[in-house]
Amino acid sequence: MEHTRSQLSRNLSKETEMDLLKRKSAIKISPFSNTSQFLPARIKKSLPTPIVYTSTGAATMADEALTPQKRDPIKSSVGNVAAQRRRQQAVTVRKERRDALVRTKRLCRVGVNVDDADVPVDGEMMIDEEQSILEAQTLKAVEELKLALAYQGKGATQKRVSALRELRRLLSKSEFPPVEAALEAEAMPILVQCLSFGSPDEQLLEASWCLTNIAAGKPEETKALLPALPLLIGHLGEKSSLPVAEQCAWALGNVAGEEEELRNVLLSQGALLPLARMILPNKGSTVRTAAWALSNLIKGPDPKAATDLIRIDGVLDAILRHLKRADEELATEVAWIVVYLTALSNYATSVLARSDILQILVERLASSSSYQLLIPVLRSLGNLVAGDSYVINNVLVAGSEITVNIIQALVKCLGSEHRVLKKEASWALSNIAAGSFEHKLLIQSSEAVPLLLRLFSTAPFDVRKEVAYVIGNLCVAPSEGSGKPNVIVEHLVALVGGGCLAGFVDLVRSADIEAARLGLQFMELVLRGMPNGEGPKLVEGEDGIDAMERFQFHENDELRSMANELVDKYFVGLKFETGWTSINAAIYLSAYCISMTCFDRE
Amino acid sequence: MAMEVDKIQTGMGFPHWNPVLRRFVADAPFFASGNIERELLAKQVALDLTEDEKHHIRNMEDEESSEVFCSIVGCGARLKSLDNFEDHYHARHTASCSVCSRVYPTSRLLSLHISEAHDSFFQAKVARGFAMYECLVEGCGVKLKTYKSRQQHLVDKHKFPSSFEFFKKAQPSKKQRQKVQYKQASHKTEEVSTAMQVEEETLDNIITAVSKLSTSDSPSSISFGRRHTHGFSFIPRAVQRERRSEFSASQTKG
Repeated sequence: MEHTRSQLSRNLSKETEMDLLKRKSAIKISPFSNTSQFLPARIKKSLPTPIVYTSTGAATMADEALTPQKRDPIKSSVGNVAAQRRRQQAVTVRKERRDALVRTKRLCRVGVNVDDADVPVDGEMMIDEEQSILEAQTLKAVEELKLALAYQGKGATQKRVSALRELRRLLSKSEFPPVEAALEAEAMPILVQCLSFGSPDEQLLEASWCLTNIAAGKPEETKALLPALPLLIGHLGEKSSLPVAEQCAWALGNVAGEEEELRNVLLSQGALLPLARMILPNKGSTVRTAAWALSNLIKGPDPKAATDLIRIDGVLDAILRHLKRADEELATEVAWIVVYLTALSNYATSVLARSDILQILVERLASSSSYQLLIPVLRSLGNLVAGDSYVINNVLVAGSEITVNIIQALVKCLGSEHRVLKKEASWALSNIAAGSFEHKLLIQSSEAVPLLLRLFSTAPFDVRKEVAYVIGNLCVAPSEGSGKPNVIVEHLVALVGGGCLAGFVDLVRSADIEAARLGLQFMELVLRGMPNGEGPKLVEGEDGIDAMERFQFHENDELRSMANELVDKYFVGLKFETGWTSINAAIYLSAYCISMTCFDRE
Repeated sequence: MAMEVDKIQTGMGFPHWNPVLRRFVADAPFFASGNIERELLAKQVALDLTEDEKHHIRNMEDEESSEVFCSIVGCGARLKSLDNFEDHYHARHTASCSVCSRVYPTSRLLSLHISEAHDSFFQAKVARGFAMYECLVEGCGVKLKTYKSRQQHLVDKHKFPSSFEFFKKAQPSKKQRQKVQYKQASHKTEEVSTAMQVEEETLDNIITAVSKLSTSDSPSSISFGRRHTHGFSFIPRAVQRERRSEFSASQTKG
């Protein structure tokens, strides 16, 4: 026991940040919601009516609901001290913690039934002693469950359900769930047993809830669910009660979110179809949970699941319906499905491109102010524009209302505070700007340009890179076969006049190869396309020559020759003032390179 | 890489800007920050994340993806961010002479220049016959008595082009260039044309020689431009004395 304790005990100073993360919690009705339905720690929600299950044990369930949850006396005294400590620890955010947080798995701390009064009420962090108590309790609960399963007599079901419930509570506490302890106590085979077909609903619910939280943890813990998968999938069927189906979907969502291998297992076991059917109804938390689980299931990188999904009867219609009319939470999860459909499957992209989805997405983009929703909607739009030229050529025709609307909506995103929105909106816009001459005209004359110019000088690097693509695409006519594409002088003059050249010189100076290449390409446009031969002077005025000088010692062959070509063509021998020639380059390079080759580098 | 800008095969080979659709795969790094946002936003209430923590997590993502390597030949330094790259570049790869504003890619070459061009003590020792001109190639260690013999050593031992000149014309800073430009426009054009006439041959040699150069880092694709219309000559003062002296006046204005 000692050994187990020291093994399992989580010392505050030694615990991983991930564990710390699991300690943090707030009471809320649904983990999916980002609206703070925050319940203070000590208040229990009062029930109008108790839950009614279709199977036996309904009466007991109702009784259960009215008894207050037992509370560990130690916890109530921890209070603010714990919260403070939590904050202090939280300041050092380490990689494990971040990794744990950004995993696409979700712990189920409150049951799928909103009316469930059985709400874990403690939001406090446990101190070390309590953790080992928790683990001991878990061991005990598993033993109890084993006994209950063995028992054949009267009230067997109730015994089982009670034992399961106890285990479930231990695994749903706000402190990090004692998953390892449970698995070591061999809870898995028992839980699988509890999932057998024909079992009472509460049993199925509690068992799948336990499995959900076991799967929300570390990779090896998620993989432990392998024996349970066929049963979980089985309970997704239309004959299952909704809460059971939802809880099973949640568990499966966690498994799918772990890694590709597990997704493949689930897909080959036939998880896609029943899960897809669960998103067909109009509303309900089940639809939302299923949509989230589905997005995890199809995320690839193999496009097959995505392609299969869009082919299922009723799915396309449901997707469109939800995106159009559902509340923002459901729309968000469905939008993420569309993100993966359009990013992975060409077939799905072309099906969607030919549906009403663009219109619907543009409307959402324009009207919503929830980042949660805007991000996947924007990305879906971006994927659609980039993924199928049908969109630019047939749907977003220059002159139609939808085109004006989408540009407007993208401009709104450019103006948002959120970096991801700015970046991905610029990306989408750059693809529209890669379209016909009319598309470029439309964008050039919209409110996008002043915003883009401002972003180009102030935004973070990744945003600026995308903005560069927009600006450059606006200045170049669609290519007509061979030969270099023509400069659209009017646009170039306007944008350079708006001060974008400095931003491109900045890109040339950056260490990013792609960005430097873009910068040099734009400089070429300026040098070639600015009227009255102003190009070279302008470039020099922004220290463009200095920037290009750097490439003399650059490892990248292509960039080096690009810079050389520009300098040779536009700056050598024309004016003394420019002060830089390729002779300098020759000498620098030869001295430097030769010195480098003659002996070891550090 | 997502970039699909075409390389149009003109005579020059310059890959001109060509607008194309850019598509990313589902797990592309481009989408990473948006994916993280999804999880941050979905779990922020359940896990009681503070704005501070969210900020930290986003920044950690930034730090990871923003690591860059210095691409200057032979450097390979690893830098945490693009801003750091600028600092690194200025610290390590721009060594300029405070006297005459010539710029060198390493501090060693700079210090050699300073000794040879601005140090009278150096010249004094040269006059007395000491071997003061070091080989430019780091690690070689050879010292020669005259500029020309060092030159020869570079050509013979290290395969420098025969018309290579270490001591070259001043590279005035932009400010200085502008000053000079406005004050001496007419003078300069005159000078340039004479310079060009005289040095054409030398330039020719340098260009051909350098283009024949090959080291493991120097790519054969480098072309150093055309043969005839280059602006400067790079003659050390010692050699200049033998030629017309029109240069020196304006050149010392550095």
